[in-house]
Amino acid sequence: MEITIAHLYPELLNLYGDKGNIATLKWRMEQRGINVTVKEYALEDEIDFDGTDILFIGGGSEKAVRMAANRLCEIKKKFEAYADNDGVVLAVCEGFHLIGTYYKLNGEKIKCAGIIDIFAEYTPDRLIGDVLLQSSAIGSTVVGFENHCGRVEIGCYKPLGKVLYGYGNTDSAQYEGVVHQNIVGTHLHGPLLPKNPKLADYIISRALKKKYGSVTLSEIDDTLELQAHKYMADRYKNCVRKKNDDDI
Amino acid sequence: MTKIRNSLAIVACKLLILAGRLMGKKGSSAPGSIAMKISPGVLRSLASQIKGDIIAVCGTNGKTTTNNMIDSLFSSAGKTVICNNYGANMLPGVACAFISRASITGKLNADCAALECDEASLRHIVKHVTPTKIVVTNLFRDQMDRYGEIESTAALLNEAFEKVPEAMLILNADDPLCAQFGKGRNAVYYGVSEDTGLHGEEAKDGRFCPKCGGELEYEYHHYSQLGKYKCIGCGFERPNPNYSATRVDISDGLKFVLSYKGSQHKLELNYRGFYNIYNIIASFAVYETAGGTIEEAKKVFDDYKPQLGRMETYKVGGKNVILNLAKNPAGFNQAIETVCADKKAKDILIVINDKPSDSTDISWMWDVEFEKLKSANLGRLVVSGLRKYDLGLRFKLCGFEGVVIEDISREALEGIISGNGEVCYILANYTALFETQKILKTMEDK
Repeated sequence: MEITIAHLYPELLNLYGDKGNIATLKWRMEQRGINVTVKEYALEDEIDFDGTDILFIGGGSEKAVRMAANRLCEIKKKFEAYADNDGVVLAVCEGFHLIGTYYKLNGEKIKCAGIIDIFAEYTPDRLIGDVLLQSSAIGSTVVGFENHCGRVEIGCYKPLGKVLYGYGNTDSAQYEGVVHQNIVGTHLHGPLLPKNPKLADYIISRALKKKYGSVTLSEIDDTLELQAHKYMADRYKNCVRKKNDDDI
Repeated sequence: MTKIRNSLAIVACKLLILAGRLMGKKGSSAPGSIAMKISPGVLRSLASQIKGDIIAVCGTNGKTTTNNMIDSLFSSAGKTVICNNYGANMLPGVACAFISRASITGKLNADCAALECDEASLRHIVKHVTPTKIVVTNLFRDQMDRYGEIESTAALLNEAFEKVPEAMLILNADDPLCAQFGKGRNAVYYGVSEDTGLHGEEAKDGRFCPKCGGELEYEYHHYSQLGKYKCIGCGFERPNPNYSATRVDISDGLKFVLSYKGSQHKLELNYRGFYNIYNIIASFAVYETAGGTIEEAKKVFDDYKPQLGRMETYKVGGKNVILNLAKNPAGFNQAIETVCADKKAKDILIVINDKPSDSTDISWMWDVEFEKLKSANLGRLVVSGLRKYDLGLRFKLCGFEGVVIEDISREALEGIISGNGEVCYILANYTALFETQKILKTMEDK
């Protein structure tokens, strides 16, 4: 079996150790004898959507988001078609904002890819800190770190999980991320996948199922992954979020 | 009335510092905070009594070293220097540094001040202290959880510079994020003006033009975004440094030629790490612009002892144990380069915590080029600290085998130091460094 990961604009969107997500997907597939190709795309490159099984887009600065948003609008039709055809998308941090219809920044609406009908709005107050989610979509807790000014309205779509600790999509929503068809969007980095092996396998299964029909993933040694997950989950399972202390 | 309040603030602060010392603290920011509450004008009143330069040093990496070098340079020239050399670099820490040297009547007898300033705090500090010179060493990803993005950090610094338009900026020409501050301001630049051949490909946050967002083209590249760059879009380019290093050799200590004002000087110093060239020339630029000479500076650089945990060597059981602070990708990559340049067989311990004074976001560890350690003649590799499992995963996923994951303790340190390597390197982030150092000190050969 062969899986191709398209990593969108790593030169531009590379703020939060996103290569850990790619490394995790690659490792977990290669352990199971699946051949993995990672294609890194630069902004000007033509993306081979037909040859893509998992598309990853990560986080970046405000300037980078503008540049990426412009480019995504140009390739909107092809990207939409990929997503509508059950293409697998993992969008993290600002990547999560970029897959929505627009990002509203100080009254200005920056048009984004719009492969899913959600939108983000800038608020100067940054939501920062560790996050613990309970995700019914993947049947597990999810641990990660959030650091975002954008608040995301997901409308009637399903979130990735309920917030047990942290903020999530908005200050008060108590939900984080979005899961729709084969799209997973979330603010969580850390990076996201290394210590959330279940979520990584969820994404891998989706890609394999689409390409090869029904697939069962063999067990691999996740001792360390689960230790790392448990360490963070245990740290926050009985905590209540405190508002950030202002720096002086 | 103000005088009485100032005196009260000074007495309270001094007592708290004393109480802190009795409890074994090295002086923190709490006494300064309380003093500023008692008398908000106390710092302004003390700072205005400085006779000469007030130098602020900020930037992600190297500010403690640079600031302490500046302190040493001026102190050796016989000046009385106020310096916050315990790394308390926010407003209360700066207040503390002034108050601890003031008389209880509010008098301060000092020639100059060398102040390490946190990038986000400088805009608060300049409301009380008016720097004559501000050094910006570099801007890398660090403490992203506190500053948000690197561009916000730049904006916070700009806000501070606007408040002190008279200050001379001393900027790293090789860093586009620093050099951008110089336009239209009284600025002096320093840099490494040649292709040293020490390429590194990592954290590329600054690779885009800070002015127009266009892509930067590099004629040569040192590490991170540092190098000789030019924007294809708007033409923004590396300014010609006033203080320039060339003929750099880092294989054994640091050797380079320092050029300024048409003169050239060969320096051979017992330091480790390419990045120290920047710290040396930045501090020299400050000193030289205040009338100092290279002959005086050479002596000071020769005698300079590295700050705690900056490639600091301990002898344990006859073996050299080298402890180094590394708290962000740029710092870690430089440390790894230094470790790899040492060809001896070695064991390595890496310790990462995620306490509030570290970075609570540890995702940056995935942007560190740990892969390079594969060619570092490694024996044992031990990972430790609060985020030891994350570190373990970091190494697992890039193919390292036999990585030991354990908590930091005397036993753990004994284990790694008794390894087969000729030398032991410990790379630790902020709070991890202090924990490790505390244990190491009890193990040192007498």
